[in-house]
Amino acid sequence: MKSNIKKEKIVMSITIGIACFALMLVMFMQFKVVQQTDIMAIENMRESELRVELTDWNQKCEEINERYQEVMSKIEEYQNERESDEKTSQLLLEELSQLNEILGMTDVEGEGVVITIVDNEGKELSEDVTVERISEENLLLVVNALFDAGAEAVSINDQRIVAMSDIFTIGEEFLRVNGAKIESPYVIKAIGDKSYLENSVMGKGGEVMKLRELGHDANVSVAKKIKIDKYKNTISTKYLD
Amino acid sequence: MDNKKVISIILGVMCVLLTCGIAIQIRTTNNAGTMQSTNTAENKLRDAVLKSKEQYDNIYNELEAAEKRLEKERADVTQNNGELAELENKIKENKKAVGLAEVKGQGIIVTLNDNQKISSSSYIGDPNDLLIHYSDVVRVVNELKNAGAEAISVNEQRIVTTSSIECDGTVIKINGVKIGTPIEIKAIGFQEMLINIDRQGGYLRLLREKYGLVANAEKKDEITIPKYSGLIKFNYAVTK
Repeated sequence: MKSNIKKEKIVMSITIGIACFALMLVMFMQFKVVQQTDIMAIENMRESELRVELTDWNQKCEEINERYQEVMSKIEEYQNERESDEKTSQLLLEELSQLNEILGMTDVEGEGVVITIVDNEGKELSEDVTVERISEENLLLVVNALFDAGAEAVSINDQRIVAMSDIFTIGEEFLRVNGAKIESPYVIKAIGDKSYLENSVMGKGGEVMKLRELGHDANVSVAKKIKIDKYKNTISTKYLD
Repeated sequence: MDNKKVISIILGVMCVLLTCGIAIQIRTTNNAGTMQSTNTAENKLRDAVLKSKEQYDNIYNELEAAEKRLEKERADVTQNNGELAELENKIKENKKAVGLAEVKGQGIIVTLNDNQKISSSSYIGDPNDLLIHYSDVVRVVNELKNAGAEAISVNEQRIVTTSSIECDGTVIKINGVKIGTPIEIKAIGFQEMLINIDRQGGYLRLLREKYGLVANAEKKDEITIPKYSGLIKFNYAVTK
C-alpha cells in the first residue's frame, strides 16, 4: 500500500516535470523568434521604407546565394582535381587573386568620380578670417563619405586606401597616406556608382560643399573610366592569430 | 505532510514563472498589435521583408558550413605538397588581412562614451559637445591604423577595405549595422605602439580632457575580433 502511493507520487512528479519542461521550451522558442525577427523595427516602417528594405534584403539574398554557389563549386573542383597538383595549384591561385582584389592589391578600373581639392591656406576670406589648412579630418571624412556611398576602391594622390590605411600628420607640414607624403592639390579617385558617389559629396552638407565653405577649391568630375592603382606596401599580419 | 508542502511550493513557483512569461509575451504582442496599420499593402510588404530576412539567415548558415568544408578540402588536398601548402597558407593569411576570418592576438581596447557627468539639460554650451560623434570614431580608428593596427572592430563590426562609419541622424552605423554607446573599439597589433594613441596631445586625450567624454585605452593580451559578416564584392571595379 505504502509503496503504491510512493510510486504514484513519483509518476506524478515526473509528469508535471515533463510538462513544465515542455512549456519552458516553447516559451524560449517564442522569445527567440521574437528577438530574431525584430518585428518592432519593421512594424514601425512606412510603405516606402519597406520597399527599400525589401529590395535591400532581396539583393542581399541574391548576392549571398551567388557566393554560396561559388563556394560549393570550389569544393567540387578541389575534389575533382585532387589528383593533379598542377590543377590544384591553379585553383589556389584563383582564390588568391580574388582575395588580392578585395584587399586592394590589384590595379582596378571602372566608372566613378575624381575629386580635386586645392588647399587655399592663408587666403583671406574677410578682414579677420583666413582659410585654414586642410586637415587629416577633412580628407578622412571625404573618403568615409565615398565608402558610405558604396565606393569599391578609393585613392588619394594615387595612394590606395585599404582597410588599414591611415591619413595622418604628426607635427609636420604635410599629410601622409599609407606613410607616404601627399600635398595639395589632393586628387581623390573613387570607383563605384558614379551618380551615388557624386551626390554623396555634392549634396547639401556633403563633404565637398563643406570644403568649399571653408574656403578651399573643390571640384568633382564624373567619369566612365577611372583607373586606381594597387596598394604598394605589404599588408602585415604579424600579430594576427 | 512535509513532502506535500515542498511539492506545492515548487508547483506554485513554477506557475508564477509561467504566468509571468505568458503575461510578458501577451504584452509584447499587444504592443505590436496597436502599431499595426490596417494598410494591407504595408502588411504584405512586411511579410515579404520578414521572409526575405529569414531566407538570408538560412543561406548565411549554409554558406558558413560550406566555407568550413572548403577550408577542410583545401587543407586536405594541399597537405602532401610543400608548394601547395604554402599557397594554402597564403590564402589563410589573406583572409585574415581582408577581414573574412576571425583573428586573435595582443592589442588594445578603446572605450568611447558620451559625457556621463553633465546632463544636456543643465549644460550651457552646445549639447553636441557632450556626445560621441561618428567623426570621433573615424578619428580614433584612423589613429589606431596609424599605430600599426592589423585588425580593428567597432562594437564587433570588423573594419574592412570598404567599411564606412556612417552618420544616420543621431545613430552611428558601421557596415550598415546600427551601433550605440558605449563604443568599444578593438585593435590587434603591437601593443606598445597601439597604446601610444593615449598620448599627450592625442585625440583620445582631447576627447577626455577638453570635452569630458569617456575615452580610455586599455591593453589586453588576448583579443578576439570577429570576421566581417557581409560579402566584399566588386561590381564596378574591374581588375586590369
